[in-house]
Amino acid sequence: KNEISPFGVDFEILVSLVYIKALLCSVAADIISTVEFNSTGELLATGDKGGRVVVFQREQESKNQPHRRGEYNVYSTFQSHEPEFDYLKSLEIEEKINKIRWLPQQNAAYFLLSTNDKTVKLWKISERDKRPEGYNLKDEDGRIRDPTTITTLRVPVLQPMDLMVEATPRRVFSNAHTYHINSISVNSDYETFMSTDDLRINLWNLEITNRSFNIVDIKPANMEELTEVITAAEFHPHQCNTFVYSSSKGSIRLCDMRASALCDNHSKFFEEPEDPSNRSFFSEIISSISDVKFSHSGRYLMTRDYLTVKVWDLNMESKPLETYQVHDYLRSKLCSLYENDCIFDKFECVWNGSDSVIMTGSYNNFFRMFDRNTKRDVTLEASRENSKPRAILKPRKVCVGGKRRKDEISVDSLDFSKKIIHTAWHPSENIIAVAATNNLYIFQDKVN
Amino acid sequence: MEYKVEAHRIMSISLGKIYNSRVQRGGIKLHKNLLVSLVLRSARQVYLSDYYSGACLNAAQSEREGNEWDITDTEREKFPPSTTECDRVESSEEPQQNERPEKEREYRENDDEVKSDQADCTSTLQQEQNQNSSLDSVAKVSSETLQETIKEPKESPSDSALAECDSTPEANGESHQPPKTHVCSNRKRSAEETESGDSPKKKTKVASSNAKEGEEAEEMDTSNVSNLITIFGSSFSGLLSKDDVKPESEAEDSGQLCCDQMLKNLNPWSTAIVAF
Repeated sequence: KNEISPFGVDFEILVSLVYIKALLCSVAADIISTVEFNSTGELLATGDKGGRVVVFQREQESKNQPHRRGEYNVYSTFQSHEPEFDYLKSLEIEEKINKIRWLPQQNAAYFLLSTNDKTVKLWKISERDKRPEGYNLKDEDGRIRDPTTITTLRVPVLQPMDLMVEATPRRVFSNAHTYHINSISVNSDYETFMSTDDLRINLWNLEITNRSFNIVDIKPANMEELTEVITAAEFHPHQCNTFVYSSSKGSIRLCDMRASALCDNHSKFFEEPEDPSNRSFFSEIISSISDVKFSHSGRYLMTRDYLTVKVWDLNMESKPLETYQVHDYLRSKLCSLYENDCIFDKFECVWNGSDSVIMTGSYNNFFRMFDRNTKRDVTLEASRENSKPRAILKPRKVCVGGKRRKDEISVDSLDFSKKIIHTAWHPSENIIAVAATNNLYIFQDKVN
Repeated sequence: MEYKVEAHRIMSISLGKIYNSRVQRGGIKLHKNLLVSLVLRSARQVYLSDYYSGACLNAAQSEREGNEWDITDTEREKFPPSTTECDRVESSEEPQQNERPEKEREYRENDDEVKSDQADCTSTLQQEQNQNSSLDSVAKVSSETLQETIKEPKESPSDSALAECDSTPEANGESHQPPKTHVCSNRKRSAEETESGDSPKKKTKVASSNAKEGEEAEEMDTSNVSNLITIFGSSFSGLLSKDDVKPESEAEDSGQLCCDQMLKNLNPWSTAIVAF
């Protein structure tokens, strides 16, 4: 079995974490709303609907058990965002974390950006394993000492203590978005980042919180003429002047910040003409792009709409390079999916480290992987009933019509309340994190 | 006819979603409401166009191919203009009254989407009226469903009469406005009559007002709170016009004109809005 390509290698459950149940009380706040590995893969952050961020750290590989890769354990937990109330508009601002993006590591501390609908925050996560002891003005419990009782002076010294991981908010970037923030992206210059809402994209300097620059504004002069909104945006992984943003109409625009201060005019426009034979009431909804991701190489773009994942070559704007059907059997069920709001689910998509495999989620806790080279694809399930630690995941199959085989599941039996929206792939290894409502699953490939 | 039932169902669901989005935690989601309004528009087109059966669906699809000219020309030939028919429309019974003006406007609307060189003022007004009338019809049809009245058979004989009336406004372009006002007042009458009807109808109507309010509130910097109907209506004009350069400038003016007309004529709506 080949270790280079994940296909031919089975996936094994490394850790099946019961996320939230041990940590939180209320049920509603449980749902995981974002998952992200840091740039080395050492840390994995999750954000949830209750505004909390949980960071997992990978244990160092043990010399005693070289075949057992490091497991991910909870490293830090903190409340990133609280619910707020906008008094002017009489609107409640949800504390749900929409996106987390890590900054590249530059010193011992870790930094991440987390955002809700309106405010982006920069968090510093650092370890503390020493504490100062021997203060003059206060005793060990922290109580202030009576100055008249102090007869000698001493110099406080740092004493070792149990490791403590603390998260502190270092910057708060607020009041820049009228509409709901859907994306944040850190620039490869490591100095700036952008935040995107339905109609505007703002550029920030990580050091400056009281000013941001608007780089894209698609708000029409007359809101009555609104026809499309921005659904996601991302910086190019290497070119700090380039970024893309996707729209609800199924198009992607690539912009160059060197061209002008306001990037309303795109450099490239990626759109595939609609297939008229597939036209329905819901054509516009299913063509809305829910996620856009550059490949690690920076040569390709991947977009996710309701039924497909597409890979685009940056040099070809007229049509995608590859199109993968995620769950085409839902095409005939669009009306029901519209009724129960599932058609609005914003699935994400991810590349593996070598850009050879792409992964995205579906319903019934299924997630799909497509190997771009061999054109093979697999459907896997994230569920505790079917998974035991170290058990190999069995490929699943949805029966579209005709006779259902023993292990297949029919379309009508799919559970649409169990959806996998958020997934993440380790930057260099075959380790994936899959969020299934309020549970986080981590899988890795089997080591022979 | 399945088209009509399905389209109506989708329209009701869409309006319900827009209404619910108002009370949702976190405020109104612009993206979702935009998508819902697109579905609402498509369903409305089908609902009002199923009279043409396949022809109009093809027309909607071939908008992009620009073939609509052929279809609409053919249809216009079939139904020569006649002003007397228009008068007949206004004086006939209430339920038919409601249906026919919509279809008339819908027909015009399909035409106008292709004829970008035509008076855009006209098309916007039509589309706004379409929007209002479609909401009326949603309210109306729901009551029909509840009461199980046999209104459908009545529509077919009236259809031909309606079609005959269609092309008259076509040619007139901007001189169109007086007949439109007249049609507006028809709707007012039917709206008032609807209001006095049973509660489910009213509930739908009120929900529609809320829907419009929601749509309006989500455009967070708008100041014309009183023009809810116009905004909701003309947001459709924006959605509908593919050639959006020319219509844009005129849409605002015509929006204002229609708005004034609307406000004068649709007092029941204002009452519902004020209540919320």
